[in-house]
Amino acid sequence: MKYDVVVVGGGPAGSVTARFAAEGGAKVLVIERRKEIGVPVLCGEGISKKIDSWGMLDGRNWISREMDGARIYSPNKTMVKLSAEKAGNETGYVIHRDLFDQELARKAMKAGAEYMMNTKAVGLIKEDGRIKGVKAMHFNEKLEIEADIVVGADGVESNVGKWAGIDTTLKPKDIESCLQYTLANVDCEDPFTDFFLGKKIAPGGYIWVFPKGKDVANVGIGVLGSLSRPGLAKKLLDDFIKSDPRLRKGQPLRVLAGAVPVSLPIKTVEDNLILVGDAARQVDPLTGGGLTHCLEVGKIAGEVIAEAVNEQNFSEEFLMRYERMWKERIGKKLERNYKVKELMLDLDDKTLDKFADSLKDYNFDEFSTKGLIKALVKKHPSLFVKLIPFVKG
Amino acid sequence: MVRHKAKVNREVCLSCGGCIAICNQDAIRMVEGKAHINDSACIGCGICINFCPVGAIGKVDAV
Ligand SMILES: Cc1cc2nc3c(=O)[nH]c(=O)nc-3n(C[C@H](O)[C@H](O)[C@H](O)COP(=O)(O)OP(=O)(O)OC[C@H]3O[C@@H](n4cnc5c(N)ncnc54)[C@H](O)[C@@H]3O)c2cc1C
Ligand code: SF4
Ligand code: SF4
Repeated sequence: MKYDVVVVGGGPAGSVTARFAAEGGAKVLVIERRKEIGVPVLCGEGISKKIDSWGMLDGRNWISREMDGARIYSPNKTMVKLSAEKAGNETGYVIHRDLFDQELARKAMKAGAEYMMNTKAVGLIKEDGRIKGVKAMHFNEKLEIEADIVVGADGVESNVGKWAGIDTTLKPKDIESCLQYTLANVDCEDPFTDFFLGKKIAPGGYIWVFPKGKDVANVGIGVLGSLSRPGLAKKLLDDFIKSDPRLRKGQPLRVLAGAVPVSLPIKTVEDNLILVGDAARQVDPLTGGGLTHCLEVGKIAGEVIAEAVNEQNFSEEFLMRYERMWKERIGKKLERNYKVKELMLDLDDKTLDKFADSLKDYNFDEFSTKGLIKALVKKHPSLFVKLIPFVKG
Repeated sequence: MVRHKAKVNREVCLSCGGCIAICNQDAIRMVEGKAHINDSACIGCGICINFCPVGAIGKVDAV
């Protein structure tokens, strides 16, 4: 089997990369170890509405519910509200990740990409140190898939990167340990995504309540790896649900454990190889959101790959275009939010309460973490002096 | 001398992949859908044990 490109992983990053590479004329194969795209869902399923303007998904069946805004609660439950009418801006959706991923895959298939399910990459084919493709298991059949470019879109585990010699290992302080229930029989009348902060509630992370409907919500927690203990995420989330009157009667439709990279950017290119999405650690280190980045970065990756195929140049030097372009697009935001993540770790619960109190009646000019950080810097310039250069403009 | 190794309880593991991303000895892989630790590579540092959101990883005595 010989392709221009083999993409390992049929998640959002892999499918978007595959689509734009195929649209640019490349012969693309996506291999996915799962037996159904997008299943099981490992996600909070929150996403910004800004994806609408990118036009990458057809239909609306992947949208579960439209949000009016977000509410952030400090440890003493002081609420900071970012709402659509206040910020005069786009908010978000809670989606069905399985249908979302399948829609992205369908688009890639329409562009000509081929998919193989139940196909797990187990190593790289190398000749004189050069990457020549992927070794895989398809059901119980051994396959060698030759390709000029291998795309590692294999999510947080990121084995492809490791096989290529890129150090993708995450330090405990750079990964969130997550648990989430999809609860039915809850009371989530208001279309708001809720975030709960505090050292006791979720050390180095937060608890989220993303309502999929009026009585169904994704309720999850992230705890920073360096502050985690065995099973802590589950214990803290169970305690929180019991203590919350809206959620207490909730019953689980689904439970999932998750891991979210919250690190600084890593190297994403080698000769004949590109990493995208969680495998490339392109997640917002403050919010843990990765979906919009997969779409933005996947498109860049696919387009650069198509150029590489047209010019038959698969060198690291050529593929670096991708790294430069994605860093231009989201690199600054990732760095800024990594700094904020680190600063937040030093804040005790009282300080968080004080911050929330100072922002509870604030008129945000932007519905985003940037808008929030800007407001904090304005209110508490001395504390956030390190961040000022990042919020200019 | 390593006195302990980490071991995954397959019944408890929910396959999040976090332990694989965090192990700096590259000792963990998904095997038949669940995390599996390669005894000869594990140095018993315990990093994965603390990470696991559901407490699926425990310590066993090294032989
Ligand atoms: C609990 C939790 C909540 C989250 N909530 C949100 C949220 O609300 N909003 C948001 O924007 N982001 C959220 N994220 C992050 C988001 O889920 C990820 O950023 C996103 O899934 C990354 O997409 P990806 O395509 O890079 O990787 P994935 O979606 O993980 O896809 C990787 C694919 O590769 C496949 N694969 C892996 N190894 C192999 C192999 N060896 N061979 C073949 N196939 C392989 C996997 O089966 C998988 O299908 C959350 C994450 C978690 C864990
Ligand atoms: S961290 Fe725990 S739940 Fe996640 S894959 Fe490892 S053993 Fe399984
Ligand atoms: S104990 Fe340490 S070396 Fe052993 S599997 Fe866990 S993280 Fe890797």
